Amino acid sequence: MAGFVALVAGRALSKRLVAWIGVGSVAASMVVTLLVAAGYFAHRPPNGVYSQTLWTWIRIGDFAPVIGLHLDALSLVMIVVVTVVAFLIHLFSSTHMENEEGYGRFFAYMNLFVSSMLILVLADNLLLLYLGWEGVGLCSYLLIGFWYRIPANGHAAMKAFIITRVGDAAMAVGLFLIFWSLGTLDISQISQRAPQQWPAGCGLAVAAAALLLGGAVGKSAQLPLQTWLPDAMAGPSPVSALIHAATMVTAGVYLIARMNALFALAPVVQGVIVVIGAATMLLAAFSALAQHDIKRVLAYSTISQIGYMFMALGIGAWGAAILHFASHAFFKALLFLAAGVVIQRLGDEHDMFRMGGLRKQLPLVFWTFLAGALSLSAALPILTAGSYSKDTILTLLHAVPGGKTALAAGLLGVIVTSIYTFRMVFLTFFGPAKMQAERTNRLPESIPLVLLALVAAFGGVAGLAGQNANWPGLVQFVQGGSSVAPAAGEAAISHVALGAIAASWLGLAIAAALYLRRRPAPAGETESALHRLLAAGWGFDALYDRLFVRPWLWIARVNRSDIVDSFYEAIGQATVALHGMMSGSQTGRTRQYATGVALGTILFIALMVLLRFWHS
Amino acid sequence: MTTVPMMHAMIVAAILLGLGLTGLLVRRNIMFTLLSIEIMLNGAGLAFIAAAAHWKQADGQVMYLFIITMAAVEVAVGLALVLQMYHHLRTLDLDAASSMKG
Amino acid sequence: MTLEQIRALLPLIILVGAAVAIMLGLAVRRNHAFTVAVAVGSLAAAILSLALGPTVATPITPLLRLDGFSVFFSGLILAASLFVAVLSHGYWNRRRTVISEEFYILLLLAAAGSVTLTMAVHFASFFLGLEILSGSLYAMIAYERDRQAAVEAGIKYLVLAGGSSAVLLFGMALVYARTGTLDMAAAAAKLAGALDVLTLAGVAMILVGIGFKLALAPFHLWAADVYEGAPAPTAAYAATVSKGAIFALLVRLAAAMDIQSNPPFQATLAAAAVITMFAGNLLALRQSNLKRLLAYSSIAHMGYLLVAFLAAGTLGRTAVGFYLAAYIITTLGVFAVMIVLSGTERDADRLEDYIGLSRAHPLLAAVFAGMLLSLAGLPLTAGFVGKFYLLAAGVGAHLWVLVAALVISSTISLFYYLRFIAAAYAQPAAPPALPAAVAMPRLARLAIAVLVILLLWLGVYPAAVIRAIQEAVAIGR
Repeated sequence: MAGFVALVAGRALSKRLVAWIGVGSVAASMVVTLLVAAGYFAHRPPNGVYSQTLWTWIRIGDFAPVIGLHLDALSLVMIVVVTVVAFLIHLFSSTHMENEEGYGRFFAYMNLFVSSMLILVLADNLLLLYLGWEGVGLCSYLLIGFWYRIPANGHAAMKAFIITRVGDAAMAVGLFLIFWSLGTLDISQISQRAPQQWPAGCGLAVAAAALLLGGAVGKSAQLPLQTWLPDAMAGPSPVSALIHAATMVTAGVYLIARMNALFALAPVVQGVIVVIGAATMLLAAFSALAQHDIKRVLAYSTISQIGYMFMALGIGAWGAAILHFASHAFFKALLFLAAGVVIQRLGDEHDMFRMGGLRKQLPLVFWTFLAGALSLSAALPILTAGSYSKDTILTLLHAVPGGKTALAAGLLGVIVTSIYTFRMVFLTFFGPAKMQAERTNRLPESIPLVLLALVAAFGGVAGLAGQNANWPGLVQFVQGGSSVAPAAGEAAISHVALGAIAASWLGLAIAAALYLRRRPAPAGETESALHRLLAAGWGFDALYDRLFVRPWLWIARVNRSDIVDSFYEAIGQATVALHGMMSGSQTGRTRQYATGVALGTILFIALMVLLRFWHS
Repeated sequence: MTTVPMMHAMIVAAILLGLGLTGLLVRRNIMFTLLSIEIMLNGAGLAFIAAAAHWKQADGQVMYLFIITMAAVEVAVGLALVLQMYHHLRTLDLDAASSMKG
Repeated sequence: MTLEQIRALLPLIILVGAAVAIMLGLAVRRNHAFTVAVAVGSLAAAILSLALGPTVATPITPLLRLDGFSVFFSGLILAASLFVAVLSHGYWNRRRTVISEEFYILLLLAAAGSVTLTMAVHFASFFLGLEILSGSLYAMIAYERDRQAAVEAGIKYLVLAGGSSAVLLFGMALVYARTGTLDMAAAAAKLAGALDVLTLAGVAMILVGIGFKLALAPFHLWAADVYEGAPAPTAAYAATVSKGAIFALLVRLAAAMDIQSNPPFQATLAAAAVITMFAGNLLALRQSNLKRLLAYSSIAHMGYLLVAFLAAGTLGRTAVGFYLAAYIITTLGVFAVMIVLSGTERDADRLEDYIGLSRAHPLLAAVFAGMLLSLAGLPLTAGFVGKFYLLAAGVGAHLWVLVAALVISSTISLFYYLRFIAAAYAQPAAPPALPAAVAMPRLARLAIAVLVILLLWLGVYPAAVIRAIQEAVAIGR
């Protein structure tokens, strides 16, 4: 069975090559992706819950492990989501990118990305996983810089690549630490040996887990390595949908879920994960509030939602994290694609404040976007995929001891999420029309939108129905018998879910009050919004203003310039300054070079002699 | 015949090496730079001779032959390059040959 | 001298014989293609004679020793020289103003010097090999004597290399004065455990001499100027063959003297390694001249290699061998692209020359990008496996500071490699500075294809090569 999956991946690669050579014809690429998805579904039933096989591919030296593919419930869910979403996005792109130069290049990169992602997910050892990990990073770089004529895009691409490489470097060191101390990089063997060799909470386990976390944080754009993702929105919308929302950025979540045995040994790191998740979630959500660019809102929203996944991972509920990953993949892809349509139809307009009234002009986009928004904000009880998965996480937070603070943060996050989501909806689709949209409906764009909207809107129902019918839910399916059984929180689910829904509606109401009736002008948003609110004299508005708008605006203002980002800028500048200093030593004068050699020689001898006496 | 202690010869050799090095660092005329390198090489050669005399072996003297051969090569190529440099720059100032930097 | 020893010496005999033959032939008639054929043929014959040579370790006089170690590194060096010779053909063909035939004599002699270095077990042969190599390099660097930059580079290298040779020799003399032998192993045996200040200084001076040739910081200043001024094939040669040979010698010397387990040497070289890695990468950061960039990047790579070198042991030596192979293949690949693109007037070493390369030569651009990514150490390339080995060796020997420096500084390196890749895939704003349509000689094409295959082979299926290297370095003791 896993051999089949390997075959699918291999076949996809070769066809991909053909597609590329054949000037990246839409059809070939679509069919390939369809084959991957359809072929997979056709063969899903005979595959048991746990199925794994090793298929020797390459062998690096006698000390590195055999590399093979590994299929179990976790990777199964991942590849289903990846291939299905990838297929829909490819279908969407087939017309969406039609008028772009470098159409073939686009699909070549996209397909390369999907195959790297599959390698990452199916890898049975960390080295192969790392290979896929770097592969998706490279594709991300290539695709962000897809519109290479604009220098800013190249800069954004490089920033994304280099910042994630910081995390990767930590991860590489982590890999070596694991290999050095456990003698293997095979994931299942690590999971077996780590608990035997390392007592819980011992230094090595913590170090290894922390280093891997570094990689995950970089890839998943969590604090403090989150700054690359909003800039990565320079790429085309389908790229943002596929790579920077649905799949690649969640690779960090996958890594932690995959290595859960290791993380279980490092409770300190798990605590850190919860804190990182919660902090990132809130910070990014507040940042999303202050954005004008619709795609940047979605980018911050992605960071924030991954924060939820990290919170779930931190309490060991990685099944729930994967559940949220799956639902997030669908609704966020949907939102990005819909936003992509809006942007394109308005002639490359990103600013939400210049949009408006698109409800009537682009009805299909409106309804699908709304489905995604409802799912993201978790507003409808249980119904939507997003609310189902988010409520699961919140319920689990409630269930673990000491999870109350995290739960409170989670609920606050829900409120903010709801505000920025509906701010986006209201600004874009309601109010007076400010621009004339090009009204064209293209079928290959509409189909993915509708399909994704259906999943986003009714995923929760499906999950619930499954629960009622006593099927093993996705969480149990993925996690097997784990320490945190979701059933434990059954009783509490109603309370928490109700709280979440209330929070969500509260956010919706705030957004409606702020943005539905009165629409602040794009320039001077701060003052005019406040001014009008006060002028209207609504008591509630004044209250909101005191309680919420002011701190919010403050946080937003601080965040607009992104403190963390300026830190990296400083590092970059320091590096460049060092470069300048070093460069100054290259004077081109032979005598000065000779002086360098002479001083170096004296230094060498002096150092050795000193060390010699110091040692004896 | 009284022999010179090895250490004394070594000190002389080290002084030669240091003199050559100093010349290399302070002289701007390329002819003197080449001369300084010769002095450094001779310092090393003297050290070999002294050590060989101490151990009563021929090895060090063989090394000295190699060294003067190498010095000859160096001077041959070096003088050819000096001619070319003069042709291009119309000066023998080594510091003038600094068009590449950064 | 027995027949066996002559067989072992055959590569050197072939190289020197071919150099003499070309020299005599030129007195009769000049023919570029024929000269290249003789040079390439003799290099191939030398490789063949290595492959068919004695399988057991054979000492050839007290000076040289042919064993698995020297066979591996000589093979590497000869193959790299062969690639440079092939690529030079098209390069000099385009520079019609320069008389090109003598270049191959120098190249063959330099290769002979390098092979001597890999076989050297004696200070005399070490010195001879080094000087044959450098003497040829002086002339190769300043080969285009009509260009001021070439002459300037030649003079710089000559002056500095001469000075550093003197320091190296003085170091040898100090060691000799203490031990009374010029044989590396015998000298090491006598030094064992008893290092007084003078011999310490002697070994330090030998390391300085080696460090200068490898362009380790703080002896790295010459590299960029020399590469920039030298013609591209010479720069390729200096970056690959010369460094490979000297590193091989360093490994052998260190194995004899047990340098890595001696705290003063170990700490000093570790400090040099850290400075070298950062100096190389920081200097390269905003460099927009590809030759200078490669000079700085080769400085950094020598720093990386020192990590594995200091890790010592079989794993460390295997890592050194593999990384050198990967580094040589990759660096040759980048230089090959540069050489092919170089015009009749100047080398294609500016960033502007590469803007829009993917339009004019999509395949060449892909090769260029692949080679640079390998230098940056991305997976599926030889550079990744090599760096993996370096890290594994460093971690295995608990050299945490060095490993951290390697990881951090190679993250910096990504920036400048990507800059050139981005340029290659960018849109040309103005018509290209160099004529776009370069007629690529068939041989150069073949050479580049082989380099790409090797790059991917080492990146995807390195097991066979690694096994061979392990065997080679195991005999090396």
